[in-house]
Amino acid sequence: MSSNSSNQDTGINNFKDSLVGFGDAVIRFLVRFFQAEWSGAVLAIVILGITIELFAGGETFFHPSNLMTILNNSAAIGVIAGGMTLVIISAGIDLSVGSVMGMIAALTGYVSSYWGFPPVMAILFGLCLGLMVGLLNGTFIAYFGMPAFIVTLAGLSIWRGVGHLSTGAQATPRLPALFDYFGRFNPLSPFRNAYREGSLPNFLNPLGNWINKNWIDYFRTFQMSMIILIVFFVLLSIIINNTKFGRYVYAIGSNEEGSRQAGINTRLYKLIAYLICSMCVAFGAMLFLGRAPYAKSDYGQMWELDAIAAVVIGGTSLFGGRGSVIGTFLGIILLKLINNGLTLAQLETFWQMIVTGMIIIMAVGIDIVRQQKSPFRVRQMVLAVAAVLALLVVMTPGAKTLRSWVHISEHNSAVALEETLKAKNKHLAPTQKTRIMDTEELDAAHAAVKKNTIPAVGFMILFLLAAVHVFRPDNKHSFILAGLFVASTIPLVLLGYSVAAPFLILGAILLAGSTLIDYLFERAIELSETAG
Amino acid sequence: MKTILCTFLVCVMAVCFSGTAMAAGELIGYVTKSATNAGWIMINNGAKDAAKEEGVKLLTVGPSFQGDLASQLEVFENLMSQGVKAICIAPVDSAGIAPAVKAAMESGIYVIAIDTGITGADVTSFVATDNLAVAKIQGIEAAKLIKKGETIIYVTGNQAQSTGQERRDGFMAGFKAKRPKSEILIVPTEWNSTQAQEGVEALLNSHKNIKMIVNAWDGGTMGAKAALMNLGYGPGDVKLVGFDGATDAIVAMEEGWVYVDTAQMLYKMGYEGIKTAAAAVRGKTVKKRIDTGTFLVNPGTAAKYKALIGMD
Repeated sequence: MSSNSSNQDTGINNFKDSLVGFGDAVIRFLVRFFQAEWSGAVLAIVILGITIELFAGGETFFHPSNLMTILNNSAAIGVIAGGMTLVIISAGIDLSVGSVMGMIAALTGYVSSYWGFPPVMAILFGLCLGLMVGLLNGTFIAYFGMPAFIVTLAGLSIWRGVGHLSTGAQATPRLPALFDYFGRFNPLSPFRNAYREGSLPNFLNPLGNWINKNWIDYFRTFQMSMIILIVFFVLLSIIINNTKFGRYVYAIGSNEEGSRQAGINTRLYKLIAYLICSMCVAFGAMLFLGRAPYAKSDYGQMWELDAIAAVVIGGTSLFGGRGSVIGTFLGIILLKLINNGLTLAQLETFWQMIVTGMIIIMAVGIDIVRQQKSPFRVRQMVLAVAAVLALLVVMTPGAKTLRSWVHISEHNSAVALEETLKAKNKHLAPTQKTRIMDTEELDAAHAAVKKNTIPAVGFMILFLLAAVHVFRPDNKHSFILAGLFVASTIPLVLLGYSVAAPFLILGAILLAGSTLIDYLFERAIELSETAG
Repeated sequence: MKTILCTFLVCVMAVCFSGTAMAAGELIGYVTKSATNAGWIMINNGAKDAAKEEGVKLLTVGPSFQGDLASQLEVFENLMSQGVKAICIAPVDSAGIAPAVKAAMESGIYVIAIDTGITGADVTSFVATDNLAVAKIQGIEAAKLIKKGETIIYVTGNQAQSTGQERRDGFMAGFKAKRPKSEILIVPTEWNSTQAQEGVEALLNSHKNIKMIVNAWDGGTMGAKAALMNLGYGPGDVKLVGFDGATDAIVAMEEGWVYVDTAQMLYKMGYEGIKTAAAAVRGKTVKKRIDTGTFLVNPGTAAKYKALIGMD
């Protein structure tokens, strides 16, 4: 009997220990995760992915073939952003990448199509163009001391012009098949074709059958673009983390004068950074041609902004000296994923623009809070997210009220205007005329205002409470607010806005969870002390 | 010092004389939307040829990139101060350009809008295909290519411009009247073929039942074709429908990718635009609205269309 109870005790203790051990493991993982510069991008990718998966209604966002498509379409801009990372870490910038990529893509296609260059020669020609642009940029910036921003801004205009002039801004029809190996070629397709023709050796037939059967779902989008992209980033991160060149680039970026005094040939290494960047751009142009319909000099417009955005989202500082190549990779994936996901979700065009910007702010916001390493700030951020969720809930009845209210006042002012114009024998403009509603629509608008105003005000109060709470966080109020959030789901569902209920539940979870943050930080410090 | 001044004055006078010599024919400003877009190159060629025939001097300017209203306003105002008699303009923004157009008309300069109309200001003449009507034809023709209830993709143009809006609205009206139960998935673009390609790839991956891709312009058609090629589709697996009748789309039609293309008479648009401007400058009365019409290109009519636009 007694042995039995002691068994139970040790059982419970074991369970407690394993629980604490599990908690510690989670904390260790979190600490390590947030030490990485790219954690903001990863978190944004995960949140966005889950949201789209929910809203796209089983449109298989997380499907391998879709994820590989995202990688495929990231290849060209990703390689360019990789080169940009080097330049930005060295505290420089290259605004010319988009124009240079357009020019090289167009000219490479042009010489292979109209001058009869063999494809290999055309590719070498394109890479040489990249080399030339890089040398020019690097010389002006590193040796003549001109500001990188200005030199490459001039390049943005010059190289676009050169591209248009030299190709007559015409599209190049039909690229040689060799370019497919930079893009749409699928390394598994010869194997599949062999299986379909029955020319495989017997022991490989089951594998062939399996690949053939799952072709569309899993293997169709396994293409050279993504393979090259991944290999490129592995190589680039090896170079930047393990070579003298990589260390010097970081050193120059964080303190150029100091690096020079320490005996680093800062000019040479800056030049090399711009050279590598332009070579990456030339290589990116080849990857682009591997997937594009034709070669043309107006490709790559605004790519400089996308590339810079990817680098910054990936946690690299625009002031240089800090950052990582892996972060840039994730940054590009995030940008492409936004496009892909919002298209799958069939969100309206103008909303896509707004949502894209908001996601970028979110990714960079996480990064900034991460750098401050303060439990208070982390808590404020979590609470701010909860407040934003409440605001989204306000918007469900609020938007209806606002829209109906706007319609009614536009109607009224159009009617008033029509009367004054009538006196002068003039008419309303067509766009003004469409603002006038018939009685049925007018009644509906009034009814919508009546129905939604009070709930909107109610949820607004909830949002304001949550917003005030961000500035004065404490455990008791967090719990009270969490309770209010949960309780508010009832009127929300009753009003027929059950779509928004998950926002409130998630907000409540965040509010309650925020009380744990202080403990998490304390325990993390304890753990690092015992480990250290 | 004096010699430098003298040479300078001589130079200035030489420039002035050559300027007046060049302006022997009437000076007409021509503001394009783009110098690099395949369709616009055809319009611009039409304008050039008409200017040659009429013996007028064309001052051609365009925005620094497609859709840049600020730079188009700037070149428009520059033209007014350069003493042009008429301005032929393809506005990037129907309403945004209106105040400048109003000012030009009031100071006696004839303004001819081509391709895209101007809202909020009167113009001498408006020379364009009726995008809404042509897109409606595109929708009706596209509907014939699929069965009831089949899913399709529509690649839009810029939804903040009237051309993009009208083509979408026209297509939807024509298509939905015949195939009300078809699901239409949207790929939004700003007249950018890369956006079209990536969007179509995303949708083709998640929807296995897409039968047709309709495009608001032929850059989108080519982007959609690249997307199909990237995913290993062959010609005809998914039907493509174009808009513009650009040469590369006609080539793709011969290869079996494109089934129908509603061509605007692009060359004619530029040609008629400058002809009208010249006529107005010479005091002739011109029509307020000149419809340059459309040509329905399908494999049956492709040969005729190619002869019409001088493509071999």
